[in-house]
Parts: sequence; structure tokens; C-alpha cells
Amino acid sequence: MIGVSLRKYLRAGLAGVVAVALSSCGPKEPAVSGGSTVVRQITEAQYRNIIRDVFGSSVTIIGRFDAPGREAGLLAVGASKADIAPATLERYDNLGRSIASQVMEEKRRANLVSCTPKAPKEADDACARDFLGKVGRMLYRRPLTSAELDLETRIATEAAKARGDFYAGLEFALAGMLVTPQFLFIAEATEADPDHAGLQRLTGLSKASRLSFLLWNTAPDEELLAAAEKGDLNTKRGMERQIDRMLDSPAVEAGVRNFFSDMLGFDAVEQLAKDTIIYPAYSSTVANDLKEQTLRTLVDLLVTKDGDYRDIFTSRKTFMSRQLAMVNRISAPTETTWVPYEFAENDPRSGIQTQVSFLALHSHPGMSSPTLRGKAVREIFLCQAVPPPPGDVNFDNFNNAAVAKTARERLTVHRTNPTCAGCHKVVDPIGLTLENFDGMGQFRTTENGVPIDVSGDLDGQPFEGGVGLGKVLHDSPAATSCVINRVYAYATGRAAGRGDVAFIDYLEKRFAADGFRFKSLLRTIAESDAFSTVAAKPASQSNKVAFDASGHKELQP
Amino acid sequence: MTFLIPRKPTRRSVLRGMLGSAAISVSLPFLDCFLNTNGTALAATGAPLPVRFGTWFWGLGQTPGRAISNKMGAGIEFLDECKALIPYRDHINYFSNFNTPLDGKVSQVHFTGWVAARTGEAPGRDRDVRLPTLDVLVGDLIGSGSRFRSLDVSCTGNPKDSYSFRSAGAPNTAEVSPVSFYARVFGPEFVDPNKGDFKADPNVVLRKSVLSAVNEQSKQFVSTLGAEDKARIDQYFTSIRQLEDNLAAQMQKPEANAACHVPGLPVEGQIGTEVGFAQTNHKLMTDLMVLALACNQTKLFNMLYSDSGSSLRLPGTSQNHHNLTHEEPNDPKLGYQVLSAKFATWSMEAFGYFLEAFSKVREGDGTLLDNTFIFANSDTSHAKIHLNDNIPIMTAGKAGGRLKTGLHIDGGGNPLSRVGFTALQIMGVPVEAWGSGALRTSKPITEIMA
Amino acid sequence: MGLNPRVYLAVAAVAGLIGATVIAASPAKTAPAAKKSYGFVVSSLFTAMNDSKYMDECPEGLTESNDERWLRNMTPEQREKVTAGGKRTHVDRRLAAALRGPNGEDVCWNPELVKDPPMRTVQSGTSFGMNLDGTTDGKATAKSCAHQKFVGVDGTPAVDNQLFRLMGCTKGWRSDGYIENSAQTERLDISQGIILVEVTDVDDTRNDDDVKVSFYRPTDKLLKDGTGAVLTYVSYQIDPTRYGDTAKGRIKDGVLTTDPIDVHLPFFGNVVISEMYLKDMRLKLNMAADGSSAKGQMFGYYDWETWWDYTRKIGLAVIARHSCPALYEASRRLADGYPDPVTGECTALSSAFKVEMVPAFVVHPNIKTAQAH
Repeated sequence: MIGVSLRKYLRAGLAGVVAVALSSCGPKEPAVSGGSTVVRQITEAQYRNIIRDVFGSSVTIIGRFDAPGREAGLLAVGASKADIAPATLERYDNLGRSIASQVMEEKRRANLVSCTPKAPKEADDACARDFLGKVGRMLYRRPLTSAELDLETRIATEAAKARGDFYAGLEFALAGMLVTPQFLFIAEATEADPDHAGLQRLTGLSKASRLSFLLWNTAPDEELLAAAEKGDLNTKRGMERQIDRMLDSPAVEAGVRNFFSDMLGFDAVEQLAKDTIIYPAYSSTVANDLKEQTLRTLVDLLVTKDGDYRDIFTSRKTFMSRQLAMVNRISAPTETTWVPYEFAENDPRSGIQTQVSFLALHSHPGMSSPTLRGKAVREIFLCQAVPPPPGDVNFDNFNNAAVAKTARERLTVHRTNPTCAGCHKVVDPIGLTLENFDGMGQFRTTENGVPIDVSGDLDGQPFEGGVGLGKVLHDSPAATSCVINRVYAYATGRAAGRGDVAFIDYLEKRFAADGFRFKSLLRTIAESDAFSTVAAKPASQSNKVAFDASGHKELQP
Repeated sequence: MTFLIPRKPTRRSVLRGMLGSAAISVSLPFLDCFLNTNGTALAATGAPLPVRFGTWFWGLGQTPGRAISNKMGAGIEFLDECKALIPYRDHINYFSNFNTPLDGKVSQVHFTGWVAARTGEAPGRDRDVRLPTLDVLVGDLIGSGSRFRSLDVSCTGNPKDSYSFRSAGAPNTAEVSPVSFYARVFGPEFVDPNKGDFKADPNVVLRKSVLSAVNEQSKQFVSTLGAEDKARIDQYFTSIRQLEDNLAAQMQKPEANAACHVPGLPVEGQIGTEVGFAQTNHKLMTDLMVLALACNQTKLFNMLYSDSGSSLRLPGTSQNHHNLTHEEPNDPKLGYQVLSAKFATWSMEAFGYFLEAFSKVREGDGTLLDNTFIFANSDTSHAKIHLNDNIPIMTAGKAGGRLKTGLHIDGGGNPLSRVGFTALQIMGVPVEAWGSGALRTSKPITEIMA
Repeated sequence: MGLNPRVYLAVAAVAGLIGATVIAASPAKTAPAAKKSYGFVVSSLFTAMNDSKYMDECPEGLTESNDERWLRNMTPEQREKVTAGGKRTHVDRRLAAALRGPNGEDVCWNPELVKDPPMRTVQSGTSFGMNLDGTTDGKATAKSCAHQKFVGVDGTPAVDNQLFRLMGCTKGWRSDGYIENSAQTERLDISQGIILVEVTDVDDTRNDDDVKVSFYRPTDKLLKDGTGAVLTYVSYQIDPTRYGDTAKGRIKDGVLTTDPIDVHLPFFGNVVISEMYLKDMRLKLNMAADGSSAKGQMFGYYDWETWWDYTRKIGLAVIARHSCPALYEASRRLADGYPDPVTGECTALSSAFKVEMVPAFVVHPNIKTAQAH
């Protein structure tokens, strides 16, 4: 907080000299080569946030959304490759009509429709134009073109006449707007960049969207749109002022939560299934709470306390609900939903890799999986790719795995079979250290009556248990580099490429210099030239994209 | 009573008809509405019963030697695991010994197999479906003119378990709940084709004109995009057109069909990967699917009983079907994996139920099964070793007489794409060759072409 | 009967508050000793019935119900009418059957208006129970009325269980009867009448000569898994306004026993919210060493008023198959504890209950944080 207000003070007052001095202390952003624009499908969370921001939280959004595939570890990058299939558009159409009809309900329209029609049973061009222009600007994240506004107004007018109801006209027009590509896709526009000869830059409005979706995971608010329209976002100062404001706002929590939901793969919680005969404590409430626990932990550490990112692997501080307390076998007061909790120093849990969310998500429905957990540690926290299991493996040697008592014994077969060993050796020694947590993340010391050995290693570095794993991850440069890559990809909608190496390198130095403060990382990226500079010719990208067609497919355990 | 379809009613006349006395002049891009000036829709034209196309999928194949005998030709000999199919063996073709050449690509386990069978291309990497799936290609030919382009269902509880793609970024995600499936098809917007007093819903007309406007706007929007971005969201434009098309279909009365009736609302049970849930939901959604077809709500469907690399499981056991296929020891006496084989048997029982439901719907002189082409396949042959060759593929139904059935076809190591290619030809999709690389084929399996 | 349960309730409430405060404060004061607490939620509670398959304990047979008495006093024509030719089952007749007072009064609410033949009661010699009066022959003492003794099921001589003697031949109260089983199911289903038990001051779960056992009511809903089993290690906040009696106890070889106390416990069954008021209550629990389970029996004198209050309110005399006037008469006659100082009539029934508990966290109102145990 002090840092922020000092910055504000400096900008407002002495500006130049000191600010320059400050920034010259640390690493400097390298020369930009320009990224590319992307067209992103808005995500479910963004859709919900925008509707809430524009029409209020009383408008209910009931319906299923189709999540994009995961690309480069993120749905946010997958969204830049996602397209809308007929079934998905049908769902959007249903949602749009439901929202439009709620907005035009008598109890809401008085507050939401910006003007009063001359006669409620008749069309009123001017009033329709006023409403649709205002709402359209928020939904499309830019003012409507006159052609767009003309068309929307005409729809409203014709439908109002046909139905003999001004509001019915608005309803049809609004429902239509909610299925336009302008709303459903976040497209980016560029213009020549006067500061970087030969390069393009995002227009102020496109910058506003990138900023807002990065920091708040919603469309730009009025102030940001206005700043963009005035051209403020084309100046460093103007950008910084908005970034300060947005980072100081409580809305940044939603942004940080969404980023980590994405990075940690929490979309899979919706499909999470546990065998309730084996894990009676599992329920949909537990599923919801396990995700919430980790997000609360992260927001508290990284936003509220402005803490060190690396501590997510070692922090014993978290939050408990009654249901999660049950899973953790601790007591919790039940009069409030969530209470802060700190695991004892000798507790086997510290860091988010020992939280129920991580442990349960990367397990089978009826048992733990060191393989899935090890793979997840590499892919999620270290951004390392683990190859898929090989085809045409004869599993005949595996018959003796059935008599093994512990996962370690079972997996020995895989690690000694030459075809399987390559991958299993890379992931199992990590996952085996979390084996004293069962398939839904409950602590245990034995499996089938045999004591569990939680020793393991990460790339030759030996350690014990989830706590040991946390310490290794805490000190791993790959882990901090990973989150930098993910935030950058999340911010720009594309995975960092060859042209971004110098910039990522710069981010790593800055992140370290800033004490690995997550908010500082967001600020550095948002304020950078790389954030909004675009190569004159968009970097070539394949329009043939991968998609997680079959849901998450499992490695052999 | 038969009406003639006026080629192009004027927009004015359409709207005057639709909206009664309201005097409107419409400048919106209304498309042709196939309505007469009284606003009643054009009813049945005496066209032959439509031929439907759909797929049925199950994960993890069959146990070698337990599904079908080696006898080829007419008179399929189903064995234990396929007992449930015996009553329908004259309506089935079973394809053995069709292979999946990979052109040196790495096999993506539980992915390569189905992608090859459904798109004619072995994927280069995991999760990459580059070519449209069979159902989408057939849909481009027969899918329009119905309320739904296609109805896609998954019994695993996961909407992403769908193997219907136009392009990689846009799968047709599936319905997973019988209740929402019911609501989608037989909810308030359902029009009973057998009821005489059809009047198009004026809201549908308005919605369609709004969508036309959206489509128009989209073109302006696209003009602001670069070529790559434009290509990337191409599917969206197809989808918008299809949605318009669906609405146009709702402005006409669906073809009457005596077999159509509105089913009762199913009771919402549990949804998830427990095999019992999948079996129940498969039955419930099959029952709804055949009625949706009988009521001419769609001509296209995709039914998924279990996912590729089946995640179905028995309650209270730590291993799911997939893990079992790898880790369950062979029974020393029987020589196969007993529990895995049970899962495979249950899969075929589900398929048997599916065929039973189709054969129970009477249409004209035959049944719905006679007027349907069902393409059924799995992702592997012997799951224990992730085998991509000899993946079980079946067709069922007679496709309105275009498909000969009752045959066990020996592929002799030919590419499995020949089955998909034959399906396309039988359905009338104008293709001379299909697939890519070693899977590219221009040779249909003529034995099954009527 | 002379006893006003309300007075006892008020006293108990105060005692409960004090008890709670003491317990909450104790861990802080006794930090070095590292005494532990073990919480439980009662997952099963049944009146301990030593009933046999062939009903050897009831040589006269099972008790007659209101319904049977009612029909017996009618002419065949009347019976034909009220049963609609035999089509109306006894369940459908249950309300009408109770209205057999001289002027159609409800005999469950006015059990003295009608005199039925004596109720059939247990005649066998063995029962669950504990020697509560200290005598070997059941003769009257200052604290008890004369009564017959049983031999304990485990061979213990001279145990008292007049509640079993009273109800052991009533169909609905026997082990497979509707009344007890539906009460148990309802408690779990609607989370009423749930008892929390907290064992505190524990140094050693195998042998400890000085522990405390407190009884509470939770303010939170009972949590169960998909099969209906009570979940373990769930936190429950106690209701600080009611209950909270504490007994002294000891553990020997893993068996916890308590000194007698008068205890009020939440009770619910057959849609009746009531309470169990047990005087001289003693608990005998087999506790797992790690506190992961506890199972045992509870003994004591069941206050007649609270017991009768529940029994007549359930309105299920027909299903339970007892006659209200006969039961009323027998229950007062068989009451063996706590003679009324004025009338000398006993006001409580010796009784035994089977209890099963699962581990739970008992959260006191002053605890505002989550805690490891």
C-alpha cells in the first residue's frame, strides 16, 4: 500500500525525475519486437462478470457454458483458439434471451433502461438508440459504430412494432447483441505505434480490454473506457494511473482468482468425481470448498498481504470451512463459513500442493495417483511438458502389480519397464512424496496396512513428503519462471514465443527484484511495452488448433 | 392437405401474415420464410421418410476372441460379449481387420483410434482434431431443415465427451442430463408434428430476423479482422447460419409421423462415471433420442455411452474400467480379464438397448432403425495393449434401404477409413476420396452398398 | 407426580453454561499436561431390549393396543362400520381408536378415564442394565421402590431395568419395532435430538482415573454421507443455551465409566421433540485408543414425566400396539426410582440404552478459530 501511494504521489507531483530514478534502479525492459493480436472467445467467468457489471447481480445466468480447450496450460490461451460450435451458439442464444427477458422485466427496466419511451406500447427510436448505445458500449467494450447502432435500433423498432411493446423491442435487440461476435469474441484492433517505428500498437480501447480482463477478468468499466476514448491509455502516465487504480481495487481479487483457477485447472472441479463408498466425506460441497480454500489462500497471500509468490508452496496459512475441516480432521467454528487457519509447524500440510484441491484433482476417483500428481507438479507449477503414455505397450508384465500393497510397489513395475520408465521416472518420484494423502487428499500413514514411504526427488534433489516438495518448489527458478510465463500468456492470450525470450528474461529479473510480489508482476506486465505492442504483420499462428476433446486423459498410474 | 411452397414470399406479405393486423414494413434482412399468406405453415409434402444418420461410441473396445467369431460374410456370429446384439444381427454389419496406419506418427493412446475412424486422419498430436468428423459432413448434407442440426449426448456426465467436431476449437459438446435433454427437445418450444393447428410462433420469426441481423453485423465485424483471425472463427459463422436455419425449420410444421409422441419428463437420477449411472442415463436418453428423431426434431445424432479410454467405474472400487484393462490380471483359467470383459459386455448391452429402441419405433412399413444409418465404433481393439488396429466398428440400420446389412466384413488389413468413406457415400455426401495420408481412401466397401 | 421438569431444565441450563466455560478454559490453564479432548456425536441410540426371537420373555404374548380394545367393545355391526368392512387398516383407525373415553375423549391424553386389563410385561429374568439401587433383591430404599431384579445379559447379578420390563412386550418398542427404529432414523434424517459427547482431561485413552464427560446439543446439522452413515470428524458447535451436563469419569483398559449424574439430553423421535431426563445416569463406553469410535451403554432412572410426555405425544399407540390406559397404569406401577416425598410413589424407571458414537469435534462458543487435535 505504501509503495502504491508513493508511486501515486510521485506521479501526481514530482513526476519525472524521481520516477525515472526509481525505474532506472531495476532491470530495464528490452526493446520490443511486437507480439500479435488475438481473438479470444469470452470465458464463462468473463461472461458472468460482464452481465453482472452491466445489469446487476440479480439477473440470473442459468445454463451450461462450454469451456475452451486448454492450450499452453491455460484456458485463457485456449480461448484464443476456440471457436463456437452450433450447440454452443444455441446455448448462448438461450442465455442471451433469458438475460434480455430478465433485464426487461418491469422491476428491473426502470433502473436499467436509461430513458423512458414516449409510449410503452410503441417503438421509440431515440430511446432505443440511447439504451442500446450505452449497453452496447459496455458489452462490445467500445462504442458501437453508427452502422451497428442503426441496425440495433432498427431491430428494436421493428420488434417493438411487431409486438406492440417498446421493451419487447429492446429485449429482441439485446438478445441479439448477446450472440454477436462483437460480444462473444474479444477482438483486438491496432494502429501505428508512434513510439516504435515500424510496429503497431493496440488501440486505446483494445488496451483497455486487455488490461481489464487481465486485472479484473471483466470488461472495462466506465472510467477505463473513458480514459481509452480520451487517448489517455496511449501515454505511460495514463496507463499507470489506470493500472494503479485497478490494482488497488478489490476487483483485482476476481482477476487473481481467475488466473489461478485457470493455472491450477480448477475448471476440472466441475467434473471431479470421487467414489463415495471409498471416500464417504466427499460431496459437491467439499468439491466447491476445496477450490475455494486454495483460492482464498492465494488471494490472502498474494493480494491482501502482497506476499512472495514462492510462499504458495510453503505457507501453512490457509482457510477452513466446516466440510474441509472434516477432510483435514481439524475442528472449525461453524457460525461463519470460512475461518483462517494455520497448520502447525510439524504438520504434513504446507503449501498449496498439500491442499485438498491439488491432491484430489490429481487422483483417480477411488485412489491416489503419484503419476497424475507428479505430472501435475511438472505441468502446472514448473511449466514442463510430460509426454503422453506410449501406445502398444503390453501390460502383461503388470499382472503382479495387483498384489502390490502400496502405490510405490505398484509403480515400481512401470519404472522398471523400459517403455514406461522414461515418463514414470520423471513424474513418480515427485508424486510418491504426496502418498500420505489419499485420493481425496485425506492424511494417512499406511496403505493396505503397510507404512507409506514419502521419500522422493525432483530432478535428483531428494526430499521427504509434501512439505519437502514445497521447499524444493519454493527455491526452484523453474517455478517462478513458470508463473511469469503463465501470467504473460494469460495477459496476451498467447503463449510466449521465440520473440518474447528477452522480455521473459527481463520479467524474471524484475520479479526477483520486486521480491516475487505477484501484484508487482501484474503491474510490470501491464505497464510494459510488450503488453500492447504488436508486430506490423501479425506473427503467423496456426489456425488449426488443438482441443481437449476427451476431457483430461489419464496417464497410467 | 398439401400446400405448394411459394418460392419467395415478399417480406411484407410474410410479416403481415405473421403478425396479423400490425402494419409493418420490414427492412430487416428477413430470410425466406416458407409460409403462406395466412401465416400457417406449409405442411407435409408427402416426401419419403427421412434417412437419419448418427453415431454410437463406446470406449476400450472388446476382448479378443470374446466378441465375434472369425466367420465372415452373412450370418454374423456374435459371441458372449456381444450376446445383446444377437437379436439385431441382421441389421448390423461388423467390420474386422481394418487397420489404422499411422504414417510414422506417434500413437496418441485412446485418441488416435477414434479420430482415425471418425475423421479419416491419424492425429499428429494429442487433442488435435484437424478434419471434420463424419457426422458433421453428413450434417452439411441432411442437417438443415430440422429444429436441431444435431443432438449430441454423453452418458459419462462430462459434456466434453463428444467426438463431433467441425474444427478443433469447436466440438459439439454433449448433453449429459436426461432432464436437460428433455427440456431442450420437448420443452415449451416443442411443436408436435401430429397436431393439426400449427401456427408459427411470431417470436421465432422475430428471433430469426434478429439472427439475420446479427449475421449481417458479423460480416462488418469480420471485415475488421485479419485473415487468420477471420479463418479462426469461421465456425461461428457456420453456427449462426445453422441457428437461423433451425429457426426457419421451426416456422414450418415438422413432418407428421405417427410414431411421434411426447414422452414423460424423465426423473433426474445421478450423473457421473459410475457404470450404473451411465447405463441408466443411456437408457433414458436413448428413449428420448428415438422420439426426437420420430418427431423430426433432428436427423442427426451422436450418442456416447462411455468415453474413449472409458472412465466408467464400479462403485466402491479403486480401479476404473480403463485402469482395469491394464492392471487386472488375466484369469488363469479363463485366460482373459474378467472384470474388464464385463465392462465390455455392458457396453454391448447398451448398444443392444439402443438398437432395440430404434427398432421399436414403427415408421411406414418398417422401423426407425430401417431409416437410420448408425455408425458405431470404439477407440481401441484390445485395450490392454492400446491396440489401434482392428478397432471394432459396426454399422446398424438400413439407411432407408441404401445399406445392406447382416454381414461380417473382413478388412484384410485395409485402412479403417474405408468404413467411414462408405458411410459418406451411402449417405450421399459428394466425396470421391476421404481421409489423409495412408488413411486416404477412395474405395468404398461395395458389399454393403445397396 | 410432583416434579416440574421446567425447574430442572433451568438449573441444567445454568450448569451447562458453567460446564462449557470450565471446559473451554481448562486447556489453557493445564498447558504442560497436554490433556486431550475427544469429541463424539451419537450416531445410534436404542432402548436396550433383551428380546428374543420366540418371545420367551413375554409368555402372555404381546400387548393389546388401543385399537384392539376399541374394537373389542363394539358389536359386529359397529366394527363392520368403523373398519369399512375391514378395509380400513389399524393405521387408518389410529386416531379414532384413541377416542374411546366415556365421552369420546382421547385416552392417551386422559389415561385415567378408562381402565383396561393390566398390560402384558416382561416375565423373563435377564436384561441389559446396571444395579442402580444398590440392593441385591430390589427392596424399597430411600431412593427406590420395591421391584424385581434381573440378571444382567453378561451375568451381572441384580441389575435394574424396569423400562425393559414395561415395554419389552410391546411390539413397537422391541428391537425390530417401528417406534424405536423410526425414532433413530428420524434423528439422523432431520438432525433433531442429536447428542454430542465430549470426553475431556484425558491423559491416556487406555487408563486414566480422572476424566470429564459432557453432554451437549449441536446447533449444526448432522452431516451424513451418501449412504446415510454419519460422517466422522465433523465440527459441531454446541448450543450454549441448553444441556451441557458434565460427569466425572475414569478409563480402565479402554472402558470409560462415569459417576452418576442427573443429565438432560436432547431427544427426538416419531416427530416429537422431547428430552431424556436421566437421573443417576452412568455411561459405560468402549473407546478406541485414538478416539475413532465409541460404543457402549447408558444407564439411569428415566424421569417418568419426560418419558410419558414423549410416549403419549407420539400418537402412535396403534402402531406401537399398546393401550394408553394400560401403559399409563403399568408405567406408574413399575416405576422404581425416586419416590415422591409426599405420596411415596416412584417417579422414574430404571433403564438402559445402547449407544454408538462416531468421532466429531465439539466446538465451544468461545472458540473462533479452526484447531488441530
